[in-house]
Amino acid sequence: MTRASALSVKQISKHYQDGSRQINVISDLSFNVAAGESLSVMGPSGSGKSTLLNLLAGLLELDSGDITLALKDESFSYRTANERSRTMLRRQHIGYVYQFFNLVPTLTVLENVRLPARLNNRRDLERHASTLLGEFGLSDRLNDFPDRLSGGEQQRVAVARALLLKPPLLLADEPTGNLDAENSSHVADLLFSSCREQNISLVLATHSNEVAAMADTQLQLDRQSP
Amino acid sequence: MIALALLRFLARTPWSTAMALIGMALGVTSIVSVHLVSASISSRLDGLVPGALASYSHYLHRDKLDTADYFSLRRLWRAGDFPVITQLSPLIDETTQLEGQSVRVLGADLLARPRSSINNAVAKPNGKNSAAQFSWNGVWVDESLKDQLSMPINGIIEAPKGTLLADIATAHDLLGWPANQLSYLGLVLRDPFASSIEIAEKLLPGFGAGFPSAKPNLALPPGWQLVNTAEQYPAREFGKSILFNISALGMLALLVAWLLIYQVAVSWLRRLWPVFDRLHVLGVEWQQLRTYFLFSIGLVASLAAVLGLVAGWWLAKWLLEMAVPGQQANLNLDSWVIFKALGSAVVVCLLGGTWAFHRSQQAVSDSSLPTITTLALLVAATGCIFQPQTGLAGGFFAIAVLSLAASQTIAPLLIQLKRWASMVRGSYLLRIGVREALWHPRELSVAIAGLSLAIATAIGVALMVDSFRVDFSRMLDHRLKYDLIAQGDTAALNKIAKTNESTTLADRVQVYSKTDIRVNGLSMELNVQRMDAFESTRYSYSTSLATNDMLVSEQAARALQLSVGDFLTVAGETMTISGLFSSFGDLKPRLVIDERSPLATSLAAELEIDSVAFKSDQTQALLVDLREKFPALEVRLQSDIRRVALKTFDQTFAITTVLITIALLVAAISVYIAVTTMRLNRKTGRQLLNTLGVNRIEQLMMNIALGAGLGLVAIIIALPLGIMFGWILCNVINPRAFGWTIELQLSAQGLLLSCSWGMLAAIAAGILQGGGREEGAFGER
Repeated sequence: MTRASALSVKQISKHYQDGSRQINVISDLSFNVAAGESLSVMGPSGSGKSTLLNLLAGLLELDSGDITLALKDESFSYRTANERSRTMLRRQHIGYVYQFFNLVPTLTVLENVRLPARLNNRRDLERHASTLLGEFGLSDRLNDFPDRLSGGEQQRVAVARALLLKPPLLLADEPTGNLDAENSSHVADLLFSSCREQNISLVLATHSNEVAAMADTQLQLDRQSP
Repeated sequence: MIALALLRFLARTPWSTAMALIGMALGVTSIVSVHLVSASISSRLDGLVPGALASYSHYLHRDKLDTADYFSLRRLWRAGDFPVITQLSPLIDETTQLEGQSVRVLGADLLARPRSSINNAVAKPNGKNSAAQFSWNGVWVDESLKDQLSMPINGIIEAPKGTLLADIATAHDLLGWPANQLSYLGLVLRDPFASSIEIAEKLLPGFGAGFPSAKPNLALPPGWQLVNTAEQYPAREFGKSILFNISALGMLALLVAWLLIYQVAVSWLRRLWPVFDRLHVLGVEWQQLRTYFLFSIGLVASLAAVLGLVAGWWLAKWLLEMAVPGQQANLNLDSWVIFKALGSAVVVCLLGGTWAFHRSQQAVSDSSLPTITTLALLVAATGCIFQPQTGLAGGFFAIAVLSLAASQTIAPLLIQLKRWASMVRGSYLLRIGVREALWHPRELSVAIAGLSLAIATAIGVALMVDSFRVDFSRMLDHRLKYDLIAQGDTAALNKIAKTNESTTLADRVQVYSKTDIRVNGLSMELNVQRMDAFESTRYSYSTSLATNDMLVSEQAARALQLSVGDFLTVAGETMTISGLFSSFGDLKPRLVIDERSPLATSLAAELEIDSVAFKSDQTQALLVDLREKFPALEVRLQSDIRRVALKTFDQTFAITTVLITIALLVAAISVYIAVTTMRLNRKTGRQLLNTLGVNRIEQLMMNIALGAGLGLVAIIIALPLGIMFGWILCNVINPRAFGWTIELQLSAQGLLLSCSWGMLAAIAAGILQGGGREEGAFGER
């Protein structure tokens, strides 16, 4: 099965204002990610990796350019969307995995994974959450709260949550940065293989050359001069 | 430089700084207003006892007291038989008609004091008669009599309306008494705790009334009866008891305010701690950091104390004007109240801050000492509840201990509830909100304890007031069985009683007579009337009263330790106690007998008609008729009396309602401050939810759920605690304070309303702390 949806980034720019000083974080950046493909974003601290992910998530507004995400029946343009629409986009069509604090501490493992289904009134996916956790080797931790899990287990729960809705786009920010080598390799394998199997576009920010090499395409960001 | 950094920190977090300031200022406001209201009422109550008698702690009575009795007792005293007595004086105290005025004549031995001290200590010079015109045959009068009497007036005294003070010989002349007749003797007894109680009274006006007033065993010769000030002046004691209740309620407000102030100190430190940690790594000593920290919160606390003093003064003025309309409120911001305000804000803040700093530096080991102490206090409190001798203070000690015990259960309860958190069902966002309320037991327990205490106080007082209102209303139903009541002009009342005029319009006319008597040395009111079956039902007694039977009020039964079936000898006549009746609002204990009884006959000369009641189908016509025929009489509809009585009842409890509202407000701010501090812990979780697409309305719902969760935890503790408070107020405090027993009604309105207010306060705190929306979790750049 091939997915028609894909991510298209066209000449986007973003700057921050620090007093009278303007800091250009991203300037005139363009790239495409096809459905089922992956893109790794690398670069030193301050190069704009997190800003790029925040823009792709619709958490920040673009200064110029546009991002479009091809959905099932339509194409979503970030440029013209208001905050409410971008919030709905995140809720329904984007999955996330972070380096730290991936899980809501007051929800159990199962509740954390089911959360996107509940937010989107997709009760039909709730049973799938248990299956997914079983596939990730977490079937005995369903009713535990996150503080009882190891770092590797927490990241696997986060990946399961990000995949539950089978979103067209999955964003990952240093997903293995906080893990040992064994767990890092396990989580990265899960991410890349699952996205590939489910035709999900993956954009992943990382400092790890090994993880970056697993992506279909690599994007190197440099620190911008003021 | 560190001080500058701290000041910048205050300036850069203006909202949090302002809330801490407002919270502490509100705490101080409640403390100051309760103090000023209590002090003002206390000063008015002290005015009920003429200054000339204020120094006596006890009084001695006996039948037909004369100077021979006095001197024989004095001889024994001088011989050393009564070492606890430090002063013994003969007194005259009788009400008579002087120049058409009803005047209470007080006679005291003015020679026992230097002449100058009389004017300085007792009186201020009259405008017309200066101190130079002092005359031993002259008198001192209260303000109301200064232009009413032709006799020489030496000065004006602080005393109730219609009071005259004279030398004992002059009083004899004014009353027309034989030279050896006396009313009673005034005593001052040595009390080792007097100075401590005086200081406590300055700090908590009205508090002295709460202590048990045990009578010393003086081994007096037969015939003498020793009474204390409370028994001698029941009206003053009644007021002092109300005051003690307000004062004790104010103490709970004080406790809630202290919890808030402590919470502010803890929250302050929590926000500053990361900065301190870094500075310590850079080589700054903990001691220095603690000094700067205490300086910064001390600064805020001092400012809050000043604001609280000003706001408290205004609030007290408003409360007094509301509770006692038309009276000038004399509020004095004396050194005691300033000390109390500054002490509460600054000292609690500094001590709380020091303790919080100590706890942050090193883990405090779990000690069983607090639990053992609380258990021991609970045992003592149970003793106080069941031992009437412990007085009002015993009752409120029990309430304070229960509050302390309940506060200590909050943290363990939160820990237990956190374990059960996975059982919370419903929407996931609501689950998150509610569970967040259980997630930080150590940080939130103080604030929740404050809220619990405020809600429990609201429940306890609401249950007591509702129960009281039901009983009061029932009593009014019994008492107000007539349609009209006429009072006032004695001549007109006598005329109605003797000629039975107006009876054509009335189906029933009932004449009420009364006199003041002393029974076992206690001042009581004897009511004499036709006690047929209809009249008896007004006192919850089902049949007509036999001529040797007597009904007694609860107060009288308690004072004389009587119950139904006992015998009581009054003025040589032995009566059987047939029933007890409620008498809310009575200043004096009351005895009711039938007009045909031998006791009524023997006291006929002393009886005075107090009122006449009418039952009629033509109420309006009878009202007009009576007002036309007897314009000097005050004729009122019973329905009006009922309305006024209930209005007065509600007005009495208005102060309580305001104080509880303030306590709830203070508790809500405390919760707000605690939850705001927790935002750092919850920030990442909220950012994650924002990234997952949780919108503003859903975030608001989560904040409401958080507030509701906090409110729920507070209510779990407050509900049983509040019901216990209500039970203690009805069954322990009221009987001890006023001699009334109130049947506790678990009114749904009282419970729901108090819990709802508490819940609203918690939800408001939850919403307010939400602030702006958390932004994305991918970091800044």
